[in-house]
Amino acid sequence: MTDEPGTERFAAMGTRVELHRFDGGADDALWAARRAIEAVDDALTIHRPSPATAMNEALLSGQAAALDDELLFDAVLAAAQGHAATQGLFDIAADTRTGASWAMVSFDPQSRRIVAERPLALDFGGLGKGFALDRAMAVLRDAGVGSALLTLGESSVAVLGDHPLGGGWPFTIPHPEDPEQELLTLELVDQALSVSATVGAGTHAPERAAITRPHTGTAVAAPLCAVAVEPSGTLAEVMSTALIAADDVAAAQLLRGRAASRFRFRFDLGPAHRPHPARTLAA
Amino acid sequence: MTDQSFDVSRRSFLDRVLAATAAAGVAGAAPWAVTAANAAPTGRPATTAGDRVRIGVIGTGDRGRALMRNIAKTRNCAVAAVCDVYAPNLAKGREVAGASVPAFTDHRAMLDAGGLDAVVIATPLDLHARHTIDSFDAGVHVWCEKAMARTIADCGAMVTKSKSAGKVLQIGHQRMFHPTYLNAMKRVKAGEIGTITQIRASWHRNNSWRRKVPEGADDRHINWRLYRDSSAGLMTELATHQLQVGNWFLDAVPTRVIGSGSICFWKDGREVYDHVALIYEYSGGRKFIYTSLLNNARYGCEEQIQGSKGSIEPELGRIYAEVPPKVLALQRMRQDVASGQKRAVPIGGATWFPELPVTTPGESLGWGEYDETMLQFEGFAEAVRAGKPLPGLLSQAYLASVASLLGEEAMDRGQAMTWPPNLVAV
Repeated sequence: MTDEPGTERFAAMGTRVELHRFDGGADDALWAARRAIEAVDDALTIHRPSPATAMNEALLSGQAAALDDELLFDAVLAAAQGHAATQGLFDIAADTRTGASWAMVSFDPQSRRIVAERPLALDFGGLGKGFALDRAMAVLRDAGVGSALLTLGESSVAVLGDHPLGGGWPFTIPHPEDPEQELLTLELVDQALSVSATVGAGTHAPERAAITRPHTGTAVAAPLCAVAVEPSGTLAEVMSTALIAADDVAAAQLLRGRAASRFRFRFDLGPAHRPHPARTLAA
Repeated sequence: MTDQSFDVSRRSFLDRVLAATAAAGVAGAAPWAVTAANAAPTGRPATTAGDRVRIGVIGTGDRGRALMRNIAKTRNCAVAAVCDVYAPNLAKGREVAGASVPAFTDHRAMLDAGGLDAVVIATPLDLHARHTIDSFDAGVHVWCEKAMARTIADCGAMVTKSKSAGKVLQIGHQRMFHPTYLNAMKRVKAGEIGTITQIRASWHRNNSWRRKVPEGADDRHINWRLYRDSSAGLMTELATHQLQVGNWFLDAVPTRVIGSGSICFWKDGREVYDHVALIYEYSGGRKFIYTSLLNNARYGCEEQIQGSKGSIEPELGRIYAEVPPKVLALQRMRQDVASGQKRAVPIGGATWFPELPVTTPGESLGWGEYDETMLQFEGFAEAVRAGKPLPGLLSQAYLASVASLLGEEAMDRGQAMTWPPNLVAV
């Protein structure tokens, strides 16, 4: 544990994780939340042997994989639901090099088996952090924590309960290429937030893969930033990724009726298409 | 390159050296470069053939011929004789020098023939001391390739003989004349990278270092770098350059060295290590960490000069400022909450990732478009004419050679070697 009471900082999921509890309770809950995130990392990592790598090895060799690991099964199920919820825009099988996509995958939740019609691998990079946030939030809720803020990196955030000073948790989203410029201001309560972008320093992170547009099999080249506020971290990750993967028409469908919780900024269309300097969400 | 463009680039090179050494503290750290650049003939026609310092070249192998080409670019030196015991190399040396230049197979015969002001020695390492001392005995000055000699005792003997003979002894450490290195020193003296606490240096290649032995030739002669009688391998052929840089930038000599060497990859009968890893300790806990190997070239040749405010990589010619740690938004938020203040937390910026190498591009130190070996020869010629060595140069070379040989000893013995207390005063 970190020395600072009410705080847990550690590295997992390829980024820095910070768990902040503000209700004065014991740190045991934070430690348990940390273990939940580390368990997700252990299950989904592709950087060391894991249930995910074992599954991918099977899929790449043309064999079916049994999803015996509970976390891996839940993650694949969440990915399948995300694919359905975004009309295929969120796709953990999409690969610009091979043309692979989720459409080539057969996933049977009943038998907990997955197989692909051609060799491919699943990448949980667009979902894992939100999935891990959800697991940690569940632990904190079960422990009775009343006020907490969790982040994985600076693009995946979840809040529990009210801000310690009351009301929602205020956040600003900076322009990905100009941190001094504010894209958006919003407040969260019992929600998760995910930011995805194709520009900015975050896109230079090691081993970061470009977001793929599944319907064309190409990497998204347009300078975009998407923000999604959702009830869960997983859904927030799914939606922010899908908003980047979507073309303008598909993006409009995802944004329809969600003006207060989903945002997509495109930076190459001139001043008329620049984002509003600030938009406030009363969640 | 035309004569005119050559003159322009040469002038530019000298200007850069002078500009670098004009900065505060640099003249004291690189007095040889100041003297050489100021003495280098400029703005006037090249010295006539009769006025040039007459140089005999002992050893006309690949390196010797490269040096001859550099001598040919100078305004004040000329190759007046060549010598090599190996006929094919001597023939190639004559091609470079010209058929009218006398050729010898024995260095004493060349020295006895007279007509020389100085010699350039580019022979196997174990012969440097003998060739140097014979040359001093013949009354000529000496420019000798690095490393100085096969043993620390021979290095000292060369220095002692130089002093007793009253002749110039200069060792080939071209980095000491390179504008990029001089600019690096200038930036260090200006405090731009803070206190230097560590230099991490490497010279990694991916080749066997073994030359094909022509019919009738002797492997130990052709591949002298691979055998202990004639070479300390990577330490004397490569590390000595970088140890000089280490001593120069740390402004000290090591107090102690530990190391490990092995014949790890090229198990072809060689006797010298193909892998070396050493730590040279300097006063105040500072370190020079060195590796050299012959089966992976990814990291090539570099010295990473690391200070509290920045780093310099002179082979790449770049200086990098330390990236200040980011003020974390969530830490600020906790402070806000503690003080009863509710402010929006900026989020969604660059995702933090583990502490991998910083890849900021840094800033250029400026390139030397011109071969710095030219300047060291012009400086040598002026030293010969003055009968006075370029200041500070021999000391740097001597101490670098001692460091390289001490490193070999540390690896051979498998124990830490302390800096020798009884070195010759330069």
